[in-house]
Amino acid sequence: MKNLLALILATFVFAPIAQAQKERSPWENSVVRLDINRHNYNYFQPWSRRVAANQKFGLVIGERAIVTTANLLYNHTLLRLQKGGRGQWYTGRVTWIDYHANIALVTVDEERFWEGLEPAKLAEEVPDSGTAELVRWNSGRFEVRKLDINRLQIRKGQLTFIDMLHLELDSEINGVGWSEAITLDNKVIGLTISQARNKCIAIPSSFIQSLLKAQSEGNYRGMGFFNFFWQQSENPTTLDYLNLTGTKRGVIVTQIPNLPGDNNTLKPRDILLEIDGNSIDPLGDYNDPVYGPMMLENLATRNHWAGDKIPMKVWRDGKEQEILYTLPKADYDNELIPTALYDSPPEYVMAGGLVFQPMTVPYLMSWGNDWQRRAPVRLIHYKGQPPTEDRPRLVVLSTVLPDPYNLGYQSYRFLVVDKINGERISRIDQLKSAFENSDGDYHVVEFEQGEPVERIILDAKRLGAATQRVMLRYGLNESSVINE
Amino acid sequence: MLTQAAPPEESVIQIVVFTQQPDWDEPWNSMPVSRSSGTGFVIEGNRIMTNAHVVTWAKQILVRRYQDSQPFQARVSYIGHDCDLALLEVDAPGFFDSLTPLPLGELPKVRSTVVTYGYPAGGEQISYTSGVVSRIELQNYTHPGNRRLLAAQTDAAINPGNSGGPVIQDGKVVGVAFQGIPGLENTGFFIAPPVFEHFLEDVKDKRYDGFPQAGIRMAPLQNAAQRAFLGVPAQFEGARIDALFSDSAKKHLRKDDVLVAVGDYPVAQDGSILYQNNQLHAGLAFSLAQSGDSVPITLWRDKKGLQTELPVHVETKDAAAGNLYELPKYYVYAGMVFTPLTKNYLSTFGQNWSATTDSELLYELFYKRKSDPENTRTDAVMLASTLAHPVNANMRIRGRVMVDKINGVRIDKLEDVISAFESGDDDFHVIDFSGSFGFETVDRIEANTANGSILNTYGIANDRRL
Repeated sequence: MKNLLALILATFVFAPIAQAQKERSPWENSVVRLDINRHNYNYFQPWSRRVAANQKFGLVIGERAIVTTANLLYNHTLLRLQKGGRGQWYTGRVTWIDYHANIALVTVDEERFWEGLEPAKLAEEVPDSGTAELVRWNSGRFEVRKLDINRLQIRKGQLTFIDMLHLELDSEINGVGWSEAITLDNKVIGLTISQARNKCIAIPSSFIQSLLKAQSEGNYRGMGFFNFFWQQSENPTTLDYLNLTGTKRGVIVTQIPNLPGDNNTLKPRDILLEIDGNSIDPLGDYNDPVYGPMMLENLATRNHWAGDKIPMKVWRDGKEQEILYTLPKADYDNELIPTALYDSPPEYVMAGGLVFQPMTVPYLMSWGNDWQRRAPVRLIHYKGQPPTEDRPRLVVLSTVLPDPYNLGYQSYRFLVVDKINGERISRIDQLKSAFENSDGDYHVVEFEQGEPVERIILDAKRLGAATQRVMLRYGLNESSVINE
Repeated sequence: MLTQAAPPEESVIQIVVFTQQPDWDEPWNSMPVSRSSGTGFVIEGNRIMTNAHVVTWAKQILVRRYQDSQPFQARVSYIGHDCDLALLEVDAPGFFDSLTPLPLGELPKVRSTVVTYGYPAGGEQISYTSGVVSRIELQNYTHPGNRRLLAAQTDAAINPGNSGGPVIQDGKVVGVAFQGIPGLENTGFFIAPPVFEHFLEDVKDKRYDGFPQAGIRMAPLQNAAQRAFLGVPAQFEGARIDALFSDSAKKHLRKDDVLVAVGDYPVAQDGSILYQNNQLHAGLAFSLAQSGDSVPITLWRDKKGLQTELPVHVETKDAAAGNLYELPKYYVYAGMVFTPLTKNYLSTFGQNWSATTDSELLYELFYKRKSDPENTRTDAVMLASTLAHPVNANMRIRGRVMVDKINGVRIDKLEDVISAFESGDDDFHVIDFSGSFGFETVDRIEANTANGSILNTYGIANDRRL
């Protein structure tokens, strides 16, 4: 009893002293703050330029190099960095960025910034359980918080349409997801990208490290991905139907979306048995030498980049066949409705008050984060469609700025353009030549079949004057913005 | 000798209905029986007029006369779901003996006063509410869900139970109370005389056809350049025909025809006509014709005027699918429940179904018929669910997906499912789903063997309703 009492007393007496002597975290010299000012475009008013400011974190990882997630670095007008959680801000610049990978390298030219900073080490392997720590600057203090590692999982990347490896952690910490470093022992195991409820998602260090290595060696050609849909083969009848002999294994390729430059020979109803020497089980998992069962998508991004050739074994026509799969490059420009459009202002053409815009996901996101439920079904429908050779992209009549010139058309909006003066329209840069091709008196603008109106006529001779008048009245500096 | 007309309330009938709706998700089942009430009124010919929605899915209809507690059984003689009207008959002799049919009146004037008679919730006795006719317009009829017909708005309270009740002015019926707008106060709507007159005219041949449509989409013709392009002379207003949907419209009209007049009604630049002093959509003029009639029209085509006729018909396949009031079709094979993709089926996905349903299903049901008519399926088929049995237990895709093909045959309608399963003699049935949902297989012999026992296990008396 006496001993126990002494122990309690000791705890009470020594605790404040221990706090007062709190040691500096070794991470304080590696974690820096980033302050980003950027354009925040309003796609419903593409000529207006609003600004936004965000703060996030970076991690010193080498000679004058800081790694951070690519998110929010797009469209930036000013980037500044701060070390030590307080004091001077230094102007920085992005030296390399890849939005699909969601990783950027940042530097500061001013020598003084680097004094006292030390590169952190990235872990080559990431555990899928245990307790890790999140480190960041918070109001001038350095914060070290514990979180539990939940699992490694394959999920869609934050800024891309491709699936890749992520680290999921349980976190009770507020406001996480701004590229805070997750550390374990003396290494960084990930950079956070988001938090929803108490689940925090991070990009694992294993991926970052292999990406940066490839980048520094000049071997990085962009993120690759598997351009096919597959389904699990848990229904053994289906494997019998496909004449598979031997053990039930592999998954079934169901669809190969049209993609320019994808010349792979994979076919629907091939049974995918092996990728890169790894057997695929009926659930679509392979046995990763480090992480155990993992979804096959990981094999497209695990130390592989666009253009890499990956051997595959498929079951086709009653026998096993070998193919070499060339990883297509993840490219927003190959989508009918591009997932993103970074580092360029929204494109538009305003003609006589009619505002034409390319249809992109950022445009659809003007309906809010739940745009997939709120945007017009007619438009969402196109998101699921692949591009075709004669229809690589879509242009919409987004809105009409009322003017006597366009009287009768003011309420038309969100209409997918089919033709202008007979020319099939896919890209916004076609509009200029299409409007030059009128027969003299009129412009004929046609919309896709099924749109609320299919054809309108504009006065060709008065178009220029109307455009000028609308620019003045509605405060547009340019009648069009078309990126090169 | 002049006789004093009986007060209208004596011809107003209280209707109590016991209904049983089908279960659109498990289409061989029905929902529990529920009780509801409405109002009707006696018209010429010993008939009771009420709303279709009052007696839809009725298993038993009881009617009570004014201040008479005795219920009588009634039955539906005609029902028009598109105009939300029904006629009831009562077989009990003498039921109508003491009842005076209410005379039918004309479309009331805006700002004039009307009185509604009915048996709304909140009491047993007849209730009267008075108000003015606030406006007259084409309104969305919520019972069919995809029809806009003439209706009048009033600030007289119209509450549940009022449905089917007469709206009276000067002793004549000038409306049938039928709907309100949730959340909007002091607004009730009643069906206007041209609509119920049309309904009564329609059933004279002992068959209800419905309200025909022109099968076109009109666009305003207000833009000077567009008017000049089409060479429309100044003395005409007229709206432009932007799209043609019905076979009749495709045969008789062309895109970019300008509709100058429908019958005697000149069409304005915004596509409206002046109907009894109300500016209303010109579609009204077509809907007032009976199915099969030819409506005289004046067009401006190729810079010339043209007098012609447009035969109009009731559209059985609307671009925007409405509510259905026939028992759901289905086919059950090897535990797989197939049913057409309908608005009623989608509504089983939950209260918020239109926001949560896969947008491709919404596109297929509500938009594709207009945007891609060549590839639109007659009646797209869903795999609604899969009733568990060893023959299908390994299937991963088990429901709420649209069927693309079965055994290589494109599924255009439910009948195709049956013929696709019955055709061929491969060892396996292969069911392809639309979009990126993949496909499933079942063993043909096992499926055929299991079919009967699955129906037994799940208490399905018939494997199909077509």
